[in-house]
Amino acid sequence: MTATDARDALRTWIRERNPDVPPGEPADGTRIIERRYLTSLQVADLLLYIEELRQAPVDPHRLKPGVFASIDSIHAAFFE
Amino acid sequence: MIDSVPGLRWVGNGQSVLSGPLLELAERLDARFLSWASRWDAEDHRFPPVLSASVLERIDWFRSFQQLATFPACLEDDEANLARFTDGQPVDAGGTVHPTDLAPISDVLTPAACYHLYDHCAGQRFDGPRYFTTRNTCFRREVEYVPLERQWSFSMREIVCMGTVEETRAFVDEATREVDRFVAGIGLRVEWEHASDPFFRPSTNPQYLMQQVDPTKFELMFEDRLAIASTNLHHDHFGRAFHIERDGEPVRTACVAFGIERWLSAFVHHFGPEGPWPS
Repeated sequence: MTATDARDALRTWIRERNPDVPPGEPADGTRIIERRYLTSLQVADLLLYIEELRQAPVDPHRLKPGVFASIDSIHAAFFE
Repeated sequence: MIDSVPGLRWVGNGQSVLSGPLLELAERLDARFLSWASRWDAEDHRFPPVLSASVLERIDWFRSFQQLATFPACLEDDEANLARFTDGQPVDAGGTVHPTDLAPISDVLTPAACYHLYDHCAGQRFDGPRYFTTRNTCFRREVEYVPLERQWSFSMREIVCMGTVEETRAFVDEATREVDRFVAGIGLRVEWEHASDPFFRPSTNPQYLMQQVDPTKFELMFEDRLAIASTNLHHDHFGRAFHIERDGEPVRTACVAFGIERWLSAFVHHFGPEGPWPS
């Protein structure tokens, strides 16, 4: 999966759960938790989706602060 | 050391009695916290220690922190029930109360001072940032208690910001700087650390997972072991639950909290049980 593909897949996943998100959002650097595009109830689902995208497991105990701050930070943590 | 602190009497059920110079220090510390609150013209509120359980239910508190709850219980108010209570042995030799029928419980003893403020502001719409402060006696049931450090009841001063994302973040940043200036000035050995709240069964709680990845809570740790203050960004958690709005959206909230007895412990350990303490 290319970097663009991963970012677009994450963007689509977020938009599907936030139909009111303005066009073009969330951008790669948008603070998705601060903007409430990602809530605590969705974090576990997002983890499962990331595992599906990267086709490799994620150890939830090794998640670092800030890892879900933006599409950029998710990409850096799981797809690089 | 803590056993020989003048002005401290440990009650033994997780509570302490303060008097003399230690009480004076507690009041001086709170005055300092209150002076920080005045930077934002924070409105001071004094709430009762009893909080309606329905307030905490709005934020699902009883599914995350139920192990901390203390409920005020009252006897069912009918004459026969009250007579049965006194006819029996109300309190046995071990100190255990033997209640007869209890009235339905609908309240909880305040577990954190700021909860009252969100309920107080429920349904309001703000068009600018708002700042509040409050101090309350808080109650948290624990497995073990330590004088001044982990108590069933203790005093908490909080300063709360309700505003936008940017305003709440700026508030936390400024509060952090204010605290840093103070502790540096008196030479207290402390550091801010990323922290999480004491969730029940944290591994199964999505809010705990969220706090691990979203650093919204930082604690000021004394000697790497005792949290004496915390800063907390709540996003729209309380704004959404209590229908508090800012510009048509759920308001964002943040708070800085000070555990007064824990500050006393830090002072006693750092400066000695009899001082001199910084003025």
